[in-house]
Amino acid sequence: MEIGLNHYLVLATILFGIGLYGVMRRKNLLMLFFATEILLNSVNIGFAAISHYYGDLTGQMFAFFVIAIAASEVAVGLGLLIVWYKRHNSIDLDEMSLMRG
Amino acid sequence: MEKYLYIALFAPLVSSLFAALFTAQPKKQFVGIVTSLLIFTSFVSSSILLVYILKGGEPIHVELMTWMATGGLYIPFGFVVDEVSVVMMMVVTLVSTVVHVYSNGYMDHDKSFNRFFAWLSAFVFSMMVLVMSDNFAGLFIGWEGVGLCSWGLIGFWYNRESATWAANEAFIMNRIADLGMLIGLFLIYWNTGTLQYDEAFAKLPYLDTATLTWTGIFLFIGAMGKSAQFPLHTWLADAMEGPTPVSALIHAATMVTAGVYLVIRAHPLFDLIPHVGLFIASLGAFVAIFAASMALVNRDMKRIIAYSTLSQLGYMFAAAGLGAYWVALFHLMAHAFFKALLFLGAGNVMHAMHDELDPFKMGGLKKTMKWTWIMMTIASFALAGVFPLAGFYSKDAILETAFVEHHFIIYTVLLFTAGLTAFYSFRLVALIFHGEERYKLFGIHPHEAYKYMLVAMSPLLVLAIIAGAFQHTFFELVEEALHAVHYHIHSEVVVWIMTIGTQAFVIAMIIYAYKKYARKDIKIPDGTSPVEQSFIYKLLFNQYYIPYFYEEYIVKPYQELSEIFWKKVDLKIVDATVDGIAKVLYSTGAATRGMQNGNLSTMLRWMVVGLVLLLLIAVAIGITVRYSERITLFLSGLGVL
Amino acid sequence: MFDHILSILIFFPAVAALLGFVVKPAGIRAYGVAVATVEFVLSLVLWLLYDPNVSGMQFLETLPLVPSFGINYIVGIDGISLFIIILAAFFTMLGIATLPQNTKDEKNMIVTLLFLQMTMVGVFAALDAIVFYVFWELSLVPMLYIIGAWGGPLRIYASIKFFLYTFAGSLVMLVGMLFMAYFYYQVTGKWSFALLDWYRLVLPVSYQVWLFLAFFLGFAIKVPMFPFHTWLPYAHGQAPTIGSVILAAILLKMGTYAFIRFSLPLFPDASVLFMKPIAVLAIIMIIYTAMVAYAQKDIKQVVAYSSISHMGVIILGTFALNVEGITGSIFLMIGHGVVSGALFLLVGVIYERRHTKLMSEFGGLADVMPRYALIFGIMLMASVGLPLTINFVGEFLSFLGFYQQSHILTLIAGSAIIVGAIYMLSAFKKAFFGNVTKKENENLPDLTKTELFALVPLSIITIWLGVYPKPVLEPINNSVEAVVELMHEKAITPEAKLKIPDVKAIRIADAAVVKEAE
Repeated sequence: MEIGLNHYLVLATILFGIGLYGVMRRKNLLMLFFATEILLNSVNIGFAAISHYYGDLTGQMFAFFVIAIAASEVAVGLGLLIVWYKRHNSIDLDEMSLMRG
Repeated sequence: MEKYLYIALFAPLVSSLFAALFTAQPKKQFVGIVTSLLIFTSFVSSSILLVYILKGGEPIHVELMTWMATGGLYIPFGFVVDEVSVVMMMVVTLVSTVVHVYSNGYMDHDKSFNRFFAWLSAFVFSMMVLVMSDNFAGLFIGWEGVGLCSWGLIGFWYNRESATWAANEAFIMNRIADLGMLIGLFLIYWNTGTLQYDEAFAKLPYLDTATLTWTGIFLFIGAMGKSAQFPLHTWLADAMEGPTPVSALIHAATMVTAGVYLVIRAHPLFDLIPHVGLFIASLGAFVAIFAASMALVNRDMKRIIAYSTLSQLGYMFAAAGLGAYWVALFHLMAHAFFKALLFLGAGNVMHAMHDELDPFKMGGLKKTMKWTWIMMTIASFALAGVFPLAGFYSKDAILETAFVEHHFIIYTVLLFTAGLTAFYSFRLVALIFHGEERYKLFGIHPHEAYKYMLVAMSPLLVLAIIAGAFQHTFFELVEEALHAVHYHIHSEVVVWIMTIGTQAFVIAMIIYAYKKYARKDIKIPDGTSPVEQSFIYKLLFNQYYIPYFYEEYIVKPYQELSEIFWKKVDLKIVDATVDGIAKVLYSTGAATRGMQNGNLSTMLRWMVVGLVLLLLIAVAIGITVRYSERITLFLSGLGVL
Repeated sequence: MFDHILSILIFFPAVAALLGFVVKPAGIRAYGVAVATVEFVLSLVLWLLYDPNVSGMQFLETLPLVPSFGINYIVGIDGISLFIIILAAFFTMLGIATLPQNTKDEKNMIVTLLFLQMTMVGVFAALDAIVFYVFWELSLVPMLYIIGAWGGPLRIYASIKFFLYTFAGSLVMLVGMLFMAYFYYQVTGKWSFALLDWYRLVLPVSYQVWLFLAFFLGFAIKVPMFPFHTWLPYAHGQAPTIGSVILAAILLKMGTYAFIRFSLPLFPDASVLFMKPIAVLAIIMIIYTAMVAYAQKDIKQVVAYSSISHMGVIILGTFALNVEGITGSIFLMIGHGVVSGALFLLVGVIYERRHTKLMSEFGGLADVMPRYALIFGIMLMASVGLPLTINFVGEFLSFLGFYQQSHILTLIAGSAIIVGAIYMLSAFKKAFFGNVTKKENENLPDLTKTELFALVPLSIITIWLGVYPKPVLEPINNSVEAVVELMHEKAITPEAKLKIPDVKAIRIADAAVVKEAE
């Protein structure tokens, strides 16, 4: 069986689902970051696969963008996370509700 | 001659403003003197104008300045002195002068002496505007002006609850009628394009009867308020709360006759609508007997005279309604003299009796108050219409008019009322001046009024006696202006029978009244005698329960409805709806606030929900667009489209 | 310099207000009075320069703001707006001069008042819908502060209600304005918010109806018309005296003025269509609120509800759609401004002394404060609409005008003169007549010099314009004739042609009559 576009897209969808589930359910901020990474990477897979399928490099270009942005996001996010942990000694999401409406 | 017109008109205004300067100060005798002199000046000017008109001079017409001008409307301050207005001016200024002089004595001890004269002169000015104006709007200025002054003077002793209540009642009652008057003005304006008397009257014959009828009705509604005709009559009796000179001037001689004046002034209109005229005459006759009946049993001296005024106004309307405008005007004039005299006499009695008003508590006053007794007796004779006093001529003319015009019901009613008038007038005189000196029980020491007050009253006395002699001159004066005709009964025998019969009837009633009330053994009624227990007595004594009816079924419901409108409708419905809308928005916000609880994972979940929803909508729309044709086909198959 | 007198009138108070922030608190009152006086004198100069024989706009100024969308700063006045501007300047001056000595935060109050003045003059001078809208909304802000910061115990509720209610209404109006501009774009290919451009548009009746309703909501809440009136008693009840005075004298007039400036000339057919329903609303306003006023215990609420009742008469006159009625309604705006302003000042006087407004607390004041009673009496009689006072002229003309349109409705509405007398006289009786029953009232001081300074001129105006209204009535009349003429020309439906009188034809006919007479 040849691995075609559909397989990549199914994989991306599964990963996206996992990521989404993680985003919704995880209470640990670190895990949340992981889940976000999974989400982003699932999209990257989709981009790369469709780019290859159409023979258009724009999709892969986008994937690189996403990787770069994800990296910087993680860098900033983890920095904030550490600061938060030092102050509050916890990275539980439920306790972060300073912006309650 | 214009000069005299301006003097006659504006002297009272100057007088009022002058007195107004001192209102905040304690009594200043010169205020009374100066205002009296200024009113006298106005009287002299009016007399000069009267002589001028009597000699056949052309009516004087002046236009002072524009008042309102917009669109097609043009209202100037215009004044006219013609045969009708000059008569009114004479009546007004003469009685006013007498009352001003008299008030110097009557208000002698009042702390608001100066204020009294300010109001009184302001009233004279308003009345002059009313009678001299050459257009309906100017008439309305005077009309409301006298209403204002009447308010200020009825409520002159504003510390008394009853006085201020009566003042407000008078003002509001008059306002009801003024609305009618205003509508009458609008009708005139929109149908003739002007409010000037002469121009408007010239166009009246071209209008249809319906319009004319409505105009006549609404104008007459206005007249009904000022002249206190049924059913707007209750304020007049209550207005007796004011100082007695005020009652003499405003509520007997001048203001209350303004309604009659209006009908006379608008006679070209009422000539065209005889059916309305007949209604006016019938109402007049009804009010004549209605008011006289209430006067029969009343126990308040001033109210008795007030009801008699009401009754006489009924006579005037009866005459005016039947088209005998000059007769109405003549009776108006004669009535002004003897009724003002009667009131001023009553004022003397009140002073002597320390403001006691119940004639049953007086009696035998003729010894101490000889002159007042003579004056009031003569005034009562004039009122009863005894030959040869003023009332005989004027009232007789009204009766003759009704007879000649073949309105025998009106005639009979008026004739019967003449008898009642004689009875209650002399009941009052007998109770006050004859019989036992019942006041001694109350420890009162009566005294005659100041000399100059009596002197001031004397012109009225003279006129009450001799005014009848001027009937012919008067007729000639107004003949042209009012299209006056003599009402003559053809058969001389009938005339004699009628005149003598009437006189005999009246004199019999006078004697009866004397017999009944001049006795020595009159007791102060205490409500136990069989007469007082009778239904008719109670009905009359309570003024047919009309004030009670008004209080219970109009005033109170109005108050309650106002309360309901405020507390229930405005606060509970209208405002609550507005607040309700605000509350819905607010509570929606409060309910959905949970979404924004600041918890990242909750918000993320909401984000996902939103995303899914949007995706679903997008898909749904996409499918619909794609298969729109098939859907249409399907739906039309179902018969929906 | 007089070319820009309108802009000076509008922005001078605002600039002065900004400078006011740096004035020392001790001198702020003198500063405020000086500024307001200069402004008032300027407004009188405006009247002096105004040519009463010209019916159109005068002192026009144009400055492009967003030319691509046809938004320009256009100001100009005619006889309709002139006197309201003068009135606004006059009342601001009186208001600042008579501020109670113990006003807290006096400086902020005066600065707020000066800003308010800018917005008031701006509204009445603006001839561009967007500029009009901006001033219209801006006027809410200072008033919000005045009620919210210097008001009574319920001030926050009252001020927020006032703000949100009127704001909601005017948003709908804004949508209407945008649509008007869009429609103009569709017809001419150009955007324009200029009122004078809009006047030339003839809209289809169906559009007119919807636009009329959109504008109506904004204006009706401002007036305030029944059933949108409930913010007013709260606003008046909580506002300090100065707030009530300006609210009653000027701000309410914005609504009725806008009816004449926008609704009538833009939508003549819709105006005729809605004449009867609006008249019915006006009648409800007149009678219903007069009865509510009668039930009040608080004298300030009596005056507040009486304001609504009188505004009903103004609305009625406006929708008479003829020269007599509209002229009368504009005159009544001025008259009611003077009289209700004075009445609120008078209520403020007694509130300063006794810190209560309940009528049951008084009684017999005529003995203690005769001068006060006299001026109150004059204003009372003016409010009741006695002839030879300022209100009578307007009321008479309004009713007279509407009588041409409907007999029965005028008859019912005319009961204003009865119900008005009932609540006013009974309030006067409760407060002034009778004996002094409360000990606190025995030694109340009569009016001070400052108070007389404000009240005597108002009394003089009340009587002067009642006896001789011509100087004001004439310019109003000329401008109104132009409006009615425009309406008649623009009207599409035969009914509207019939109901709106043809001023031009009448004028020609009159001229012919005069010629014949000669």
